[in-house]
Amino acid sequence: MNTAGSCRGRQGWLDRRYDITPLIEFLRHKEVPLGAHSMVWYYLGGTTLFFFSVQIATGILLLMYYQPGEATAHESIRYITTKVPFGWLIRSVHCWSAHLMILSLLVHMFSTMMLKAYRPPRELTWISGFVLFALTLGFGFSGYLLPWNELAFFATVVGTDSVKSLPLIGHWLLEVLRGGQDVTINTLYRFFALHVVILPMSCFGLIGLHLLFVQRQGMAAPVGADHAPRGMKFFPNFAIRDLLLWLICLLALLVLAVFVPYGPTIPGMEWELGQKANPLAPAYPGIKPEWYFLWIYQLLKEFPPHLVGLEGPQVCILLVSVLMAVWALTPWLDREAQRNQDSPVFTDFGVALIFFFTFLMLKAWDIGALGGGQDPASLRAIAWTCGWWMLAIAVVVTAVRVLFLGDRWLVLSAAAVLHVVLHGIVGLSYLSAGAIAAGLAALPLAARLKSGVQPVVGGGAR
Amino acid sequence: MSMLYAALALVLTLVPRAWGTDIGIDTARGESFVLPPDLLEILNAPGDDGAPIIGAEERGYFNALPDHAKRQTAEAVSRELITTPQHLGEILSLGLASEKLERLMQDNCVLCHSNPDVHEGATLFSTDPTGVGSPAHMNLAEVVEDLHSRHGLSCAGCHGGDPAGFMDHDFPEEWPEDADIRKKDRSWIPQFCGRCHSNAAFMRRFNPALPTDQLAKYGASQHGRFLLDKKDSRAAQCVSCHGVHGIQGPNSPRSKVYPKNIPETCGACHASAEIMAGLTLADGSPMPTDQLDKYRDSVHGRALLERGDIGAAVCNDCHGNHAAMPPGVTSVGQICRTCHAGNGTLFDGSKHKEVFDRNGWPECGMCHGNHAISKTDDTMVGIGENSLCTGCHAQYAKHNPNCNETAAYFHDSIVELNHALETFEVRAERLAEKGLDVDLIADELNRLADLVKQARSYVHSFDSSDFRQVEDPGREVVRKMERLAEDAEDEYRARRTGLLVSVFLIGSVALFLYLKLRRMERPS
Amino acid sequence: MSGSNGANEHTRRGFLDILLGLSVFGSLGSVVYPVLRYLTPLPAGGPAGPATLTRDEVAALERKQFVIIPVGGKRVLVVQDADQNLHALAARCTHEGCTVQYVPGEAVIWCACHNARFDLDGRVLAGPPPKPLPKYTAERAEDGSIRVVRENV
Repeated sequence: MNTAGSCRGRQGWLDRRYDITPLIEFLRHKEVPLGAHSMVWYYLGGTTLFFFSVQIATGILLLMYYQPGEATAHESIRYITTKVPFGWLIRSVHCWSAHLMILSLLVHMFSTMMLKAYRPPRELTWISGFVLFALTLGFGFSGYLLPWNELAFFATVVGTDSVKSLPLIGHWLLEVLRGGQDVTINTLYRFFALHVVILPMSCFGLIGLHLLFVQRQGMAAPVGADHAPRGMKFFPNFAIRDLLLWLICLLALLVLAVFVPYGPTIPGMEWELGQKANPLAPAYPGIKPEWYFLWIYQLLKEFPPHLVGLEGPQVCILLVSVLMAVWALTPWLDREAQRNQDSPVFTDFGVALIFFFTFLMLKAWDIGALGGGQDPASLRAIAWTCGWWMLAIAVVVTAVRVLFLGDRWLVLSAAAVLHVVLHGIVGLSYLSAGAIAAGLAALPLAARLKSGVQPVVGGGAR
Repeated sequence: MSMLYAALALVLTLVPRAWGTDIGIDTARGESFVLPPDLLEILNAPGDDGAPIIGAEERGYFNALPDHAKRQTAEAVSRELITTPQHLGEILSLGLASEKLERLMQDNCVLCHSNPDVHEGATLFSTDPTGVGSPAHMNLAEVVEDLHSRHGLSCAGCHGGDPAGFMDHDFPEEWPEDADIRKKDRSWIPQFCGRCHSNAAFMRRFNPALPTDQLAKYGASQHGRFLLDKKDSRAAQCVSCHGVHGIQGPNSPRSKVYPKNIPETCGACHASAEIMAGLTLADGSPMPTDQLDKYRDSVHGRALLERGDIGAAVCNDCHGNHAAMPPGVTSVGQICRTCHAGNGTLFDGSKHKEVFDRNGWPECGMCHGNHAISKTDDTMVGIGENSLCTGCHAQYAKHNPNCNETAAYFHDSIVELNHALETFEVRAERLAEKGLDVDLIADELNRLADLVKQARSYVHSFDSSDFRQVEDPGREVVRKMERLAEDAEDEYRARRTGLLVSVFLIGSVALFLYLKLRRMERPS
Repeated sequence: MSGSNGANEHTRRGFLDILLGLSVFGSLGSVVYPVLRYLTPLPAGGPAGPATLTRDEVAALERKQFVIIPVGGKRVLVVQDADQNLHALAARCTHEGCTVQYVPGEAVIWCACHNARFDLDGRVLAGPPPKPLPKYTAERAEDGSIRVVRENV
């Protein structure tokens, strides 16, 4: 079976028509680097792709019965979940797979970040991945509205409202998104088009690009070891492992769909069909957007109506945009990684962001609230409780990093923890605490960035 | 040059706006009425601390009044009906709509009688009567909103005289001149009000729909007999219930005879041991004073006073208002039927009707009480401890086994259906959580809830075969729900089984794949 | 490696492959079966009859001598002939399924797709249809309303 195969069987037949032998050879030699870090991280892109394929398949099936419309959206989903044979299963799988895909995507994104897989020549892979991340969030947001129930309706009102803070185009964009001033059935039509055509087509293109780059450039090796001493053949070894993992993911999906059909009933992760949306009804008390939007939902709440001459939400959006820009431009900002060296600054940046998002998410879940109120006393209690929880998580994570991973440069993540402590435990406002923490971190950060080249410290290479 | 003219024109239009601006009060809206100096003097009169006696809020209110109202006020001041800043301030503090203020300014009676310089005590109207030593019924805020006053029958309507005139205290003949007599013996009041209110021709001018038989009814009523025949002035008369100066129609929530206020109005006397002292019921026992307390705790009381349901029965619904009498024992049941018609009809067709009437027992009241009617309970029917059936049936019809059987049957039936309702609600909720379709079960639950309510009503038929009309459908519904719930649970089990099969199959693929991988990667 | 071991090795590997193949087949089935059931439409809803003509439909009947109404999810042609008698037949041509119509002048039911003709009892007079049109029963009630009952068996 070692011959080039140009004359043999199926491969020969195709080869004579399309010359696939170079492709076959390429695939035969494709390898996954084995290095100082766990193989686990290499699977995450695949699981994200798997969940996405499940979404496409179940989405197409749902599309056979779903009808967008004032009198039919909610009703058709009800029909699917109650009358259509296995409709309940398809819908449940679709909802679970959506959340698991986003979870998988986030872990994939953060792991490639920590492992510096964005180093040259893989910058475009990173950028296309970043766009895919944005598109996926768009998928989640647009799909959420389609059942046209109360919860989704108000979550959409709150979610679309935030775009009006964008300078210049804010109000125009709001109207374009909503198909009007308010969220109405016209919003549903637009979101349907987004969810079913616009985003899928864009995603197909970008995933194709993303995978093309990955194939062309091969999987990224760990930092400092560009040519791994050994690698695992992709076909069949890694591929079978990948498949195995996908089968386990499928099993998980099926078990969840049967036993927890409406989500784990955490705010932001519940998709009971509920009541049909009524635009004239007053807002649902305690609405929250989906869990992956909770951080920005909470962050917007932390800003006062006006700040430094701009509207609060605008400053918030500005800040978040800066953060996103830094994240997207990381391949170019991270000089040390470019030189194929350890880059503890950006590793720590990633951890700091995780702390940042987690704290906001905990707060958004009102953990520790006094009797469900939003009065100042209750907000203080929430900040306090979440502060302590966050501190505990941060201590554990930092201990693992220092003791097992040999990380030493902890300025940014320490600043994030300081922020949590100052706001949650000491009692300063979120913004003041953030300003102090950022201020204190600025000098060491600047010094570190300026000093640039650092010798590899400890067993930091991962 | 044109610019100069424009500037000039601008200045000239602005100047008139500046005219008429006086200390503290401005007519900057460009209105033509200029306040005369005597009015201004009162408006701006300073108090001991140097600040004007009339506060900023009242001045603001006065400022915003239209010309005509200001003109009327100035008139009243010039005719010395309003002489002090305290007086004007009190009137302004009422915050009346401009048309009401204008009417007030033309009513010399009220103006004079609210002026603390001229009157005091029993003849002074004030916004805080008891605070200035006036009786409670001399409330200025009430009298300007009085119903009679709104119809143009202000003070003169009862007291006589001419509101446009002065110092003309011409009392009509029916008004006892001697204040002592007027207050001690109140029997003059009904026919005083009756002068107008039983005169159909007169009342037609003001409200043709209003009945005019109140006086006749009152004469025949318990209150009327006490007051007019026995000359007992404790008895209620027109003023006791309707008030005197602040009378409002019974549909106004401010009226003392608005349904929500009636318990308090009646209770003012009937819940007072001092006032009821010495009075007895028809059978000689002392007159109770706990009706109000009992009523407040009752179903009707709570509905009216706590939930604001003015359709709920209140004192005058059962006792009458002008013709108020303790209701005859057999007549209250008829009143219950005005709302509780279904149960009434069921009762009329039952064995109890004839027996109760023969014995002179109150139909509804026998089991449900009169004032302390409490929310019904399923334990009231049956042969248990709290049951009302055994109370009588131990004594009457005690040799008839049918009675206890029927009672027990009613009780068990209702309890079973109710229990089914509760259990299936829980079961349906659990099924819904598991992702199953419970719409049909929800429909049946609604139907069952209705049937349970009907069953409780059908108790009043006191007959098993009548009751079965409701119980049989009820049991049918329960059977149907059982089938639906079982189907749903079967569906759930089928899903779990299907999952098991899938897990097994996909799991085997995973297992064999893993084994194959291991084999592939074995070093040999 | 001795020969017999190699042979055992071979059968064990083959056995594993067979098991793998079977389980793949089985799990594919457990995925495909729900999808196929899902895609299969449920039987058409609606009562199988009797269907009462609405006022509009009665008016159309008066005007054009025929009207097509839904009965239990199927199209039914209701015809009022020159003698004021009512006939009801399936409106679906037995050839290719086009909806037929009534031609009052010729007292014949005609299908525009391939020029098929049927009489008022549904028998094929001309054209390609292989079978007659199924008959329904239409009755006129005392109050003037018209009911169409399930097709005659």
